[in-house]
Amino acid sequence: MPLLTIDNMDIEVPRGTKVIDAAEQLGIMIPRFCYHKALGPAVGACRLCAVKFMEGPVKGIQMSCMVEAADGMKVSTTDPEAVDFRRHVIEWLMMNHPHDCPVCDEGGHCLLQDETVSSAHSLRRFPGLKRTYRNQDIGPFLRHEMNRCIHCYRCVRYYQEITGYRDLGAMQLASRVYFGRFEEGPLESPFSGNLIELCPTGVFTDKPSRFRARRWDLQRAETLCIHCSMGCNIIANVRYREVIRIEPRYNSEINGYFICDRGRYGFSYVNHESRPRMAQVDGQNLTTAEALRKTAARISDVAQGEGPSAIAALLSPRSSLETLASLSHLAKSRKWKTVSGIFDPGRRSRIRSAVQHLHSDTAISMQDLKNRDFILVLGADPLNDAPMLVLALRQAWRSGAKIAVMDPRPIFLTFDFDHLPATPGEMRACMGAILDSAFEGEKVADEKGAAFLDSLESSSGNEGAHAEMPHRIDAIAEALKKSQRPAIVCGTDMAAEGTGTLAADTVRFLRSRNQEAALLYLMNYPNAFGQTLLEDSDTLTFEACLEEIEEGRIKALLIAEADPFFHYPDRPRLEKALEKLDLLALFDYLPSGTAEKADHFLPTSTLFESSGSYVNHEGRIQRFHPVYEGGTPMLQINDGDHPPRVYDTDGVPGGDPRPADRLIAELGQVLSGDGEVFSDDPWKNLTADIAPFFKYRHLDAPPENVRILPDESSVFEGNREPQSDGDAEAEGLQIIYTEWIFGTEELAAFSKTLRPAEKEPFVCLHSDDAAPLGIGQNDPVRIDFGGDCVLESRAKLFDRMARGVLVIPRHYRLDWKISGRFGGRARIERLRETPGSPSPLEREEQ
Amino acid sequence: MWLFGLLVLLIKIAAILAVVFGTAAYLILLERKLLGRLQIRLGPNRVGFGGILQPIADGMKVLLKEDLIPADADRTIFKFAPAVVASGALLILAVIPLGRPLTVRGYEIPLIITDLNVGLLYVFALSSMSVYGMALGAWASNSKYSLIGGIRGAAQMISYELSLGLSLVPVALMAGSLNLTEIVEAQANYPFILAQPVAFLIFLISAMAEAKRLPFDLPEAENELIGGFHTEYSGMRFALFFVGEYVNMVVIGALVAVFFLGGWHGPWLPGPVWLFLKAMIVPVFMIWTRATLPRLRYDQLMQFGWKILLPVALLNILITGGILVWING
Amino acid sequence: MADDKSVEAKVKTEEEKGRLRSGLKEGIEAVKGLYDSYAVTAKHLFRKPITEQYPEDKRKLPARSRARIILTRDPEGQERCVACYLCSGVCPVSCISMQSAEREDGRRYAQWFRINFSRCIFCGLCEEACPTLAIQLTSDFEICRRDLLELVYEKEDLLTDHGGKNETYDFYRHAGVSVKGDKGEHIGERPPVNVKTNLP
Repeated sequence: MPLLTIDNMDIEVPRGTKVIDAAEQLGIMIPRFCYHKALGPAVGACRLCAVKFMEGPVKGIQMSCMVEAADGMKVSTTDPEAVDFRRHVIEWLMMNHPHDCPVCDEGGHCLLQDETVSSAHSLRRFPGLKRTYRNQDIGPFLRHEMNRCIHCYRCVRYYQEITGYRDLGAMQLASRVYFGRFEEGPLESPFSGNLIELCPTGVFTDKPSRFRARRWDLQRAETLCIHCSMGCNIIANVRYREVIRIEPRYNSEINGYFICDRGRYGFSYVNHESRPRMAQVDGQNLTTAEALRKTAARISDVAQGEGPSAIAALLSPRSSLETLASLSHLAKSRKWKTVSGIFDPGRRSRIRSAVQHLHSDTAISMQDLKNRDFILVLGADPLNDAPMLVLALRQAWRSGAKIAVMDPRPIFLTFDFDHLPATPGEMRACMGAILDSAFEGEKVADEKGAAFLDSLESSSGNEGAHAEMPHRIDAIAEALKKSQRPAIVCGTDMAAEGTGTLAADTVRFLRSRNQEAALLYLMNYPNAFGQTLLEDSDTLTFEACLEEIEEGRIKALLIAEADPFFHYPDRPRLEKALEKLDLLALFDYLPSGTAEKADHFLPTSTLFESSGSYVNHEGRIQRFHPVYEGGTPMLQINDGDHPPRVYDTDGVPGGDPRPADRLIAELGQVLSGDGEVFSDDPWKNLTADIAPFFKYRHLDAPPENVRILPDESSVFEGNREPQSDGDAEAEGLQIIYTEWIFGTEELAAFSKTLRPAEKEPFVCLHSDDAAPLGIGQNDPVRIDFGGDCVLESRAKLFDRMARGVLVIPRHYRLDWKISGRFGGRARIERLRETPGSPSPLEREEQ
Repeated sequence: MWLFGLLVLLIKIAAILAVVFGTAAYLILLERKLLGRLQIRLGPNRVGFGGILQPIADGMKVLLKEDLIPADADRTIFKFAPAVVASGALLILAVIPLGRPLTVRGYEIPLIITDLNVGLLYVFALSSMSVYGMALGAWASNSKYSLIGGIRGAAQMISYELSLGLSLVPVALMAGSLNLTEIVEAQANYPFILAQPVAFLIFLISAMAEAKRLPFDLPEAENELIGGFHTEYSGMRFALFFVGEYVNMVVIGALVAVFFLGGWHGPWLPGPVWLFLKAMIVPVFMIWTRATLPRLRYDQLMQFGWKILLPVALLNILITGGILVWING
Repeated sequence: MADDKSVEAKVKTEEEKGRLRSGLKEGIEAVKGLYDSYAVTAKHLFRKPITEQYPEDKRKLPARSRARIILTRDPEGQERCVACYLCSGVCPVSCISMQSAEREDGRRYAQWFRINFSRCIFCGLCEEACPTLAIQLTSDFEICRRDLLELVYEKEDLLTDHGGKNETYDFYRHAGVSVKGDKGEHIGERPPVNVKTNLP
């Protein structure tokens, strides 16, 4: 532990710490442009962090980011020589600056601006001409303005080393170095937005919020990203009642310094022009209070006529913990039924088993993955299920970890990994093969572990389906055997029943071999974990609920922040069933299909307008805070003209939406009007009703950054049932619905800002499957689900995916909700184009 | 007969009130114009020719303004106090001789409202009255500024009351009477200012302090106390305080004329005119002083009153008395 | 002892004399001071008043007087304002509000721009902050209105058709963003770097 003195203050830091970090620990922020903790080893490109070393192994002016702290060092950051050096660095960096701060969006939170001002450089003394560059169009999210560049190399280091994409790089040499793409075009990386924050000046600026506001005018607050289950921390920026920009917020456990582009640009559902902002009862606009009274009256009618069990409340994994607590407490206290808001029963049970299997001794956070030496991704596509996972996996790979992915989809990752294209039904067998190969002949001390291995062996009947698999399995097994700290990342979206248990059992088995195995489940929904905790044994699946509606046993359905029409695969059935209801009440903020159908609609506020908490995929409670008061964005009210000159006192225009948990609590109060007291504190209800929250009963509000997990892992579950891919004899390909990074997520589907990144809907199949059918790359295809259910799309062919499957991303522009099932098989054929008339798809495109 | 006497009395009172109020009103204009010129400004010149109608505009404005009474004020006293100030000043005018008695159709009409033989005492009595009006108004306002102003005013007026009274003792000694008519008559040959310059100065200074004029305006000291004792007053009641102050100036001018400048004595012009002209000298001097001298500090004020004016006034009595005893044997 | 006493008495009388002398001196000074001040004010009475009779007699104000604010145009008649928010940021009374936006040609401009003159204190900080010389204070101070709402000036009310104090400055000729002219065509710029050549 070297002990050094910086500005007359002593500090002891771990060996290998750079002087710039040591100073930061003392609270001295040495100016820097190129150095960034997340970007790994320093490069010393900008020369701004110069300090003077007075005593010790090195002497004189040195870059503090390049010098490791050593014993006996005496460092001065304020030495006149160092200050003068830094002043000159600023001056020569500013020599070619285009002086366009007034029209630069970085102005106001620009590092270069700050450092220029703080070094008192105000006049360009150099009389020569300025170097200029041409800009490139680098896609819908980022704006490129190369003249502002100071050549710190942060962008390229991030883009190539952290995200692993290669299409942005440094070109040319000397003073003509250029950071850009070889040819104009959108950046390929779905993490490109982080360049905006990383760039110390305005080379990369945010396009959707271009020329909208200065940092000092923004309303900002700490909140969460709810576009997947990871729970990345973000800061939202609001200007004139409009969310205009999302920035990552540092969290050492989850997202680090970065977020993905879906989280960054998927915010604009909040500003959606047709976002319902008024309560509606049977098509009539009402105030929220009146609508609540009417809803309560209708519920009371149903309860009196049919009994309380004719009323059902749907718990949505999109809602905050508070909303879920309010709704489930209301349902419980009035003896209503509850319905799961995870519409796919398979997915629901997988998430349930994930929640059951996750324990505090095996659970890890996303950043923990970086320290793992072997990671097996089971039934998940990192990029499309949880984009930020890719960055974590890549960092693990960079520090030497072996990554293997077992998934039927064509997986694209920016690092070397072993892909086992197993269908959901083959995963168990594949896992068996891996463990078999790794620990064959080894004496398994634990009896149950041995039994687990045996059970796997017995199920691995159909191995070797693919010629290239065995040697990969051996390589993976070798790495797993050598690994000290393996981790299994398990998806819950499309894997077969029991895969979650398989992952948990494997981890337990590895732990019994003294390997520090850890487990990470992906859940896709932002609060799937919390929602699952709030379900109880009586909670109906949505299928069961629909059946009861069809049979007339459920007459009223209350939905908070969910859209069955977006998720349920049988739209005609859903429409028919919902029409049979006496009351369909929806509390939501999206202009969704359900909102159109709802008898009673009550507008709720988004997470940017309210506070609450979410439980992410690892069981971590995180809280979010309101950024603004809500209301229709100013630009939508006055259409770009001056704001109203006179304001009435009725409050903010479009300010009716209220937090869903408040609305539901008020509904409970209206319902229990006669003398009963309805507790409207969701957190109190939560700690009173739900077991994992009992130990937080003494708190007034949810704890921050705490995992709601049981402490010890239970014994092996050992799901012995062999997995299968359904009726293997049936004709056609096995359908696998999946998430895709852009285009399938519910909130993002309502976000205009993400539109340009979305690709046209497509389906994926193996080229070997396509060849006999005469389907070529990008050909229009017709998918026949049987019956009259036919879907048209385009085919993408891959060699690197499982055979016999048809992967259909649940793109919101693809009409897959006619298929009627969450899986099953379908026939695919090439869509024949009649010459002269464009195909239906092309017509659509026109 | 008594009816005729009453009528004459009423006419006299009406005439004096009209003249005094008119004078007070235009004294305000005079002060503003003169102050303006003394400060190289123009002063009010917008209402009427050269601002001649300004007092009327001011009067109308002040009468039409809302009369605010603070919520926690003592309402009765608050309403009543301004009247005390104004009436105290006006009542002094009852004993001021305006000229020789007029003889109309054989009836002798004295140009004085009441010719009291203890006129001087009456003057003292009434001039002490105005401290009540001010102190009560200040107290009733229930405001810290008013209260401080009132306390300052009471202390100041009580202190200077002494010198004021003592400075007139030599005058009474010389005239041999307390009757104001007789005092004026005693100055038929020469005004007392020539014999009693020191008494004149003491009286002038004390009177300025009594009238709360600069440099002795500590009770209202705008820049420390907002408005002093009349901070909370507005509209008509404020006007009463304000006019009372100017009536007071006229009265002091008249008293100076009576005691030191020979009253209505003078050649060519009728007595009342002489008295009016003489009575205007002191107000003009007060305005000039306002443009010239800064406000005293409170300790200076008290020191000056008690340590200088009072001993000098006593000494003056002693010397005058001595000389008179010596002359009269 | 007696000597001591007499000496003491002598000292005392000396002291008293000194005190008397200084007291007398003070008295004379006071009288002189009074006389001087009265003389000064009396002299002023006969000087010509310096008052200017405002509505009849309007003085021409200096060009840099700070009153009603305008938005000027560049030499080509384009709005100079780029809605950079510096004026609204520096405004101590927050009387300036605006919304910036991008015009089709890439030029940044104020979609709307509002100054509430009923709040403005005419401090001139906005003009000082303006990097494009767009916002300028004029010497027209006669903008009293009975209705406060009439003092809320919108962009149309603020825009003029001239360049104000500087008719020649054009921000986009200097800044290195290609709104007016391509890269390298602005004042003091070299032609753009060709990134696809290896020639030095």
